[in-house]
Amino acid sequence: MRDRYFPYALLVPAFVIVLATTIYPLAYSFITSFREWDLTRQRRPSDFVGFGNYQHAITEAAFQSSLWVTIIFVFTSVLLTLVLAILLSLLLRRQGPLHTFTRIILILPFAMSPALIGVSYRFMFNPEFGVIAVGLGSIFPTLKGIPWLANPNLAMAILVLTDVWHWTPYMTFMCLGGLASIPRETEEAAKIDGASSFRVMWEIVLPQMKGVILITAILKTIFALKMFDQVVTLTGGGPGISTETLAYFVFKVGFKWFDMGYASALAWVLTLIMIFISFWYVRILLNENRAIIK
Amino acid sequence: MTEVQLVDVEKRYGSFVALQKQSLTIQQGEFLVLLGPSGCGKTTTMRMIAGLEEVTSGKILIANELVNDKPPKDRDIAMVFQNYGLYPHMSVAQNIEYPLKLRGMDKATRNKRVLEIAIKVELESLLKRRPSQLSGGQRQRVALARAIVRTPKIFLMDEPLSNLDAKLRVTMRAELKHLHHELGVTTVYVTHDQMEAMTLASRIAVMREGRIVQLDTPKNIYSKPDNLFVAGFIGSPSMNLIEGDVRSGFFRATAVKIPVQFQDATSVVLGVRPEDLKIVSKNSAPITASVYAIELTGESTLVTMKHEATSICVRESADYEARINDVCHIAARTTGKLHLFDKSTGQRISTCSVKPTKC
Repeated sequence: MRDRYFPYALLVPAFVIVLATTIYPLAYSFITSFREWDLTRQRRPSDFVGFGNYQHAITEAAFQSSLWVTIIFVFTSVLLTLVLAILLSLLLRRQGPLHTFTRIILILPFAMSPALIGVSYRFMFNPEFGVIAVGLGSIFPTLKGIPWLANPNLAMAILVLTDVWHWTPYMTFMCLGGLASIPRETEEAAKIDGASSFRVMWEIVLPQMKGVILITAILKTIFALKMFDQVVTLTGGGPGISTETLAYFVFKVGFKWFDMGYASALAWVLTLIMIFISFWYVRILLNENRAIIK
Repeated sequence: MTEVQLVDVEKRYGSFVALQKQSLTIQQGEFLVLLGPSGCGKTTTMRMIAGLEEVTSGKILIANELVNDKPPKDRDIAMVFQNYGLYPHMSVAQNIEYPLKLRGMDKATRNKRVLEIAIKVELESLLKRRPSQLSGGQRQRVALARAIVRTPKIFLMDEPLSNLDAKLRVTMRAELKHLHHELGVTTVYVTHDQMEAMTLASRIAVMREGRIVQLDTPKNIYSKPDNLFVAGFIGSPSMNLIEGDVRSGFFRATAVKIPVQFQDATSVVLGVRPEDLKIVSKNSAPITASVYAIELTGESTLVTMKHEATSICVRESADYEARINDVCHIAARTTGKLHLFDKSTGQRISTCSVKPTKC
């Protein structure tokens, strides 16, 4: 009898930790999302309001704006990161001391804290003493003195830039891994069959990278959906609410406005989007593995 | 007519010499096999003909045209790779079609041609499959089909059969040979398998350490090996090589005294193939040794004999019987050949037929 229950007993600590840190908060926030809970007035959540919080979200312009900002942000940052990562991985694929050195220093942006990246870029784009803003201004006089982060479109572009800068190295490594698994013979065969270098890339190498590109894209999408750090340290969501992402909006509602019920509902919207994409990701991953086994 | 010509071609990787200045002429329609152990430079040689490797120095000519600086796609060659090099994301039909597509052939002609070739290599029922859904032999045929779908000047084959099982290898060998006969395209074939080389080649270039050590027809390679390396490399089991001296008409070594037609010489190696020896009952026979191992191969029996450090293999008839440690006497068959090599240079000095009275 002892042997039968012993393995389960060993699992209990892990189970308790997961329950306390993940499942309980998740369930609690789910329930909270259907209740009213204004932290400035109530210690505990009060009445159930059904889908009230969710209805509130759908009709609120600030939520719609944050959703729209998130979509634009995710789309541009994923696309740019992927294209750059693929191009860089093709360049860095060859062996040589220079390639190895570049591969090593390439990891540096990824080693930086996203919050610090936001602060650094904020400084670099300061119109009076920022190295990038002043540098651009002296090369192109028309760009002199532009208040970069005060313009909604430019602020968004810089937010995307910081994220692309942060994530491209890691995604490049993923693509390099994918490239390494492509048999050299297929490229050589294509060259002999009469393909130009461009067609070898386009018709032979890239199609074989399809799996890794897809996985990279989905992972990057999930990461981009959570964009929060640079919004806080670079733009503060501004100018106005033009760079407020969904994650930042949830934070604002919860910890600035202290409307916990509404914030929980918003958080669950974000969670559902991520669960949907993660599900898709896992499915593709499993199919890839099956293809390899085959 | 000359199809491929290598003139003083050399290949170095840093200080490592993969191929030492070699010249080689391959005739049109010839099936030339580059044979040698791994690391001998045979694959490098082929890859330089293909244009996948640059030459360090020397000239490569295809159809009398210098191709040193031409990329592979402009050399009008087709190649079959050891691991097939099939495009995994394309169907069998698309794989075969790809070289034609790259040459701008129209869709209708392409489809017709692909079907023709698929029928020739018996792939017509598998055209829609992906390479991953095929067996090794089928993949091999796709690779072959992709090579022959357009008629190139030269076929290059890099150990194309080495990933197949023994039985399939023999079948595919015959198919390759038939295909070469049918298409008559100049073929360069790399292998380390002497059986493939012997059966397929019009001529064999035996390579070792970046050099061609003998270039000749399979028949001559077998019956007149130029040096000890070729003598030992070709033939299974390999030729018996016995170190000794020639004095007054006899080759002498411990327990060996064979009458030969050679001049007196010291430090020589006598080479004789297992099938050129027989076991006799006479006490006066040239070689005396005891039985070390007996192996029945089906069509014959291989008897390995040992005297001190000297080991000699004799091919006897299938019904030959003996026990291990029996003391036997060996003589040369009258139809056989004896080869004499210089021990220090490894070069063949002379070959003579066995004649019981004189030799």
